[in-house]
Amino acid sequence: MAPKKKEEPKPVAAPKPPEPEPPKEPEFNPAEVKDAFQLFDRTPTNEMKITYAQCGDLIRALGQNPTNAEVMHVLGKPKAEEMQVKMLDFDQFLPIHQHICKAKDRGTFEDFVEGLRVFDKEGNGTVMGAELRHVLATLGEKMKEDEVEQLMAGQEDANGCINYEAFVKHIMAG
Amino acid sequence: MGCGVTKTSEFNRKFDKAMKAAVLIQRWYRQYAARMEVRRRYTWNIFQSMEYADLQDQIKLYNFLGYLMDNFTPSKNEVCRDAEWERYFSYNNITVPDIYSGPRLTFPLDMDQAAHLVEAFKNKQLHSRYVLQLLLETWKLLRVLPNINRVSTCHSKEITICGDLHGQLEDLLLIFYKNGMPSLEKPYVFNGDYVDRGKDSIEILLILFAFLLVFPGDVYLNRGNHEDHIINLRYGFTKEVLNKYKLHGKRILKLLQKIFSWLPLVTVIDQRVLIVHGGISDTTDLALIARVDRHRVSRTNGKSHRILSSALSSDSEPESSEFTDTGNDEWKQILDLLWSDPMSHDGCIPNEVRGGGCYWGPDVTEGFLNRHNLQLIIRSHECKQDGYEFCHNRKVLTLFSASNYYEVGSNRGAFVRLGPDLVPYFVQYQATSMTRGLSFPQNVKRTEHTALKVLREQLFVHKSDLLSAFQEIDKENTGLICLNDWASAIERVLHLDLPWRVLHPQLVSSTTDGKLDYHGWFRDLHIEQTMLETLYRHRSTLETIFRIVDTDNSGLITFEDFRQTLKLLSAYLKMEISDEVINELVISTDTNNDGSIDIDEFMEAFRLVDKSRLERGKSLEYT
Repeated sequence: MAPKKKEEPKPVAAPKPPEPEPPKEPEFNPAEVKDAFQLFDRTPTNEMKITYAQCGDLIRALGQNPTNAEVMHVLGKPKAEEMQVKMLDFDQFLPIHQHICKAKDRGTFEDFVEGLRVFDKEGNGTVMGAELRHVLATLGEKMKEDEVEQLMAGQEDANGCINYEAFVKHIMAG
Repeated sequence: MGCGVTKTSEFNRKFDKAMKAAVLIQRWYRQYAARMEVRRRYTWNIFQSMEYADLQDQIKLYNFLGYLMDNFTPSKNEVCRDAEWERYFSYNNITVPDIYSGPRLTFPLDMDQAAHLVEAFKNKQLHSRYVLQLLLETWKLLRVLPNINRVSTCHSKEITICGDLHGQLEDLLLIFYKNGMPSLEKPYVFNGDYVDRGKDSIEILLILFAFLLVFPGDVYLNRGNHEDHIINLRYGFTKEVLNKYKLHGKRILKLLQKIFSWLPLVTVIDQRVLIVHGGISDTTDLALIARVDRHRVSRTNGKSHRILSSALSSDSEPESSEFTDTGNDEWKQILDLLWSDPMSHDGCIPNEVRGGGCYWGPDVTEGFLNRHNLQLIIRSHECKQDGYEFCHNRKVLTLFSASNYYEVGSNRGAFVRLGPDLVPYFVQYQATSMTRGLSFPQNVKRTEHTALKVLREQLFVHKSDLLSAFQEIDKENTGLICLNDWASAIERVLHLDLPWRVLHPQLVSSTTDGKLDYHGWFRDLHIEQTMLETLYRHRSTLETIFRIVDTDNSGLITFEDFRQTLKLLSAYLKMEISDEVINELVISTDTNNDGSIDIDEFMEAFRLVDKSRLERGKSLEYT
C-alpha cells in the first residue's frame, strides 16, 4: 500500500543546495545532525561517510519516522545491491534529511493508538499479542521475527494481551 | 458511505485500515530501533573515552608515584636486606586453624588440587599460608623462564588464548566451563591484565599460577601493563589483597611485586604468531627483548636517585647499571610491548593518551611481521564490544576476555583457539548472572544510565574550567548560553570527542528559548556536593599516596612521613610551601590528636592545602 502522498523529492544524483534555515525549526541544527552522523560513520579512517543502508536509521535516530519506501524514494530508488556499497557524505545527507523533516504526517500518539484500535476486537483497550505479531510480520513493510520480538518483549500479560495505550507510550518514550 | 455498500468494500476498508495501522506501527518501531542503536553507540563511546580520560592523568600520576616511591625513605624500619627475603616470605610459622574450611594445599601441586582450587574459589578464600607457599613456588618457576615463551602446536594440539580478565573470576570460570581447564591436552596462553578493577584478582592469579605449576609446559603467562605494583595501588588490586589478607597482605604484595617483574613478556606460537599484551612499535626487536634482564628493567627517568630500598629490586646487586641509555632503551621496549595500541593510519607515534608505548599503524605491522617472519599478532589491552576485533588487514587481532567490563551488558568476552593450521576459532560469551532476564532495550538503558552517571561526574569535576569557558562566551554575563556553544565549550575543556549535541537531551533538563542557564545546570547535575571538586577528582590519587607512605599498612602514618610527603609533593609540583606552613599543616592535620595521621585526616589536609592554593589563584595540577 503506498504511503500518503507527499511532495516529490529530488533524487540524490542532483542534490538541491541546502535550504536556508527556516527560523524556528529545531530539527535543522546541522551541528547536531553532524554529531549523529559521526556516530554512524563506520569507515576505518573516519571519513564522515555512511552507507545508503544506514541512511534510514540515521534519519530515524534524528527523530523522524519515514517508511522504508519514503527513504528509498528520497535516495533515488537505489538497487538492493547498492545499499551496502554506495556511500553518502555529510553534505549529501543533509538535504535528504531536510526533505524528510518537511513531511507533515509524522503520526501522533492518537494516530498510533487509532491504528492499534483496529485490532482491538472486544473494544476493551487490549489487542492480542499473537495477532499483532502476525500483522507486523505479514502486512505493510514487514518486520522480521527478531524485530517483532524486540518490540513486543515484555509487553504481553499472562493472557497474551497487550494494553495498547501503554504499549504506544512505551514505543514513543523509547 | 452510501446505501450501496457491499460486503467486499466493507472488507476492503477494514483491510486498508489494518494495513495503514501496520505501516504506522512499523515506522514507529524502526524509529525506536534506530534510537536504541544510537544510545548504545554513544554509551559505548562514553565508556571508552572515560577510560582514556582517566588514563591521561594516569601516566602523570604514575610518574609522580614512582618519584615518590624512589625518594621516600620511611621513618619506620623496613626489611631491606635481600638475604632476609627467604625468611621474610616464610610461611612455615603461619598456622592454619582447624576451623579453616578452604583448600589445604600440599606441594608439589597436582591437577586435582588445581581443579579443587577453582571449585573452592566460588565461595572460599585460600589461607595466607598456602597463598605464600604457592606464590613462592611460582616465583621460583618464573625465574627460570625466558622472556619469550615459545610454544608449538605439534601433536595436533589446539592452543587456547585468553585476553584481559581484570579480576573477573566469573569470566575465567565461564572459559573453563566452555573450553575445559588447562592440561597436557589443553594448553593455554593468558595474555596479561589478570588483576585490577574486578573483585577477584587474587583468586584469578592463584588459579593461573596453580595450573602453571602443575602444567609448566602447557600454561603460558604474559605480563600485562596491570601486572605492576604502582598501577595496582591505583586500580584496586592492592586494596583487594589488603582487605582479604589483613595480617599477611603486605608480604603477599611484596612477593607479587617480584612475581610480576618475572612474568615473561611475549609468547610466540610455531614461530608464526606473536602474542603480546599491548602491541609493538617501529623499534620493537624480539632479539633484543630476548636478551633483557626483564626483572631488573623498571621505571627510571635516567637520573640517578636513591631507590626506596632494595625492597624494590629482586636481588642484591647494585642498581647503578640501570641509569644508562641502554636501561632507558630496554624500558622503552618493554613499555611498547605492554602499553601500545594499533591505529588505522600508517606510522608510529607516541601514545599520549596512555602516556606509555605508542600508536602503531598497518605499515609498522607489515614491517615487523616481515622482519621476524611472523604472520599474526594477537594482543589485548583494549575492550572490544564483541570480545575480539581484527585490524591492519587481519594481521592484528585484539582479544578481550572480561565481559560486561564497563557495566552489565556492555560487551562480550572472547577467547580464541589455534590449531596447527593457525586459523583462529573464536568463542564469545557474556557472564550472565546479571544480564539474564534483561531484554536488549533494558540492557541498553541500564548501561546508558551508568555511562551518563559517570559522564555527569566528569562534568562536575571540571566545573570551574567549564564555568570559565562558558563565561568567556557569555561576555555580557547573562548566565545563558546556546546549545551549540555549550557543546563546543564542553568539548574544548574535556577533549572527550563525544557527540554532545546528541547527548544533550540526557544531560540538560530544560532550556528557555533554546538557551541554557548554566549555573542552574551545574546545580541540577545532582552530584554529592559534600566535597570540593578537586578533592573528588584526586580522591583515589590521595588514597594511593597514602598507601605508598603507609609502608607497614597500619592505616596510620607518622608526622615525619607526612612532612616528607608534603616536601616531595611541593618539590615535584614546583609549588612553594614553606617549612612553617608544612609544620602547621602537619600538626593541624592530626585532628584527633593521637600523634599519627590516618587516611581521613590525610584527605582533609589536602583539602586545606587546596583551598589555600585556590585562594592564591592557582590550582592543584600536576605539571
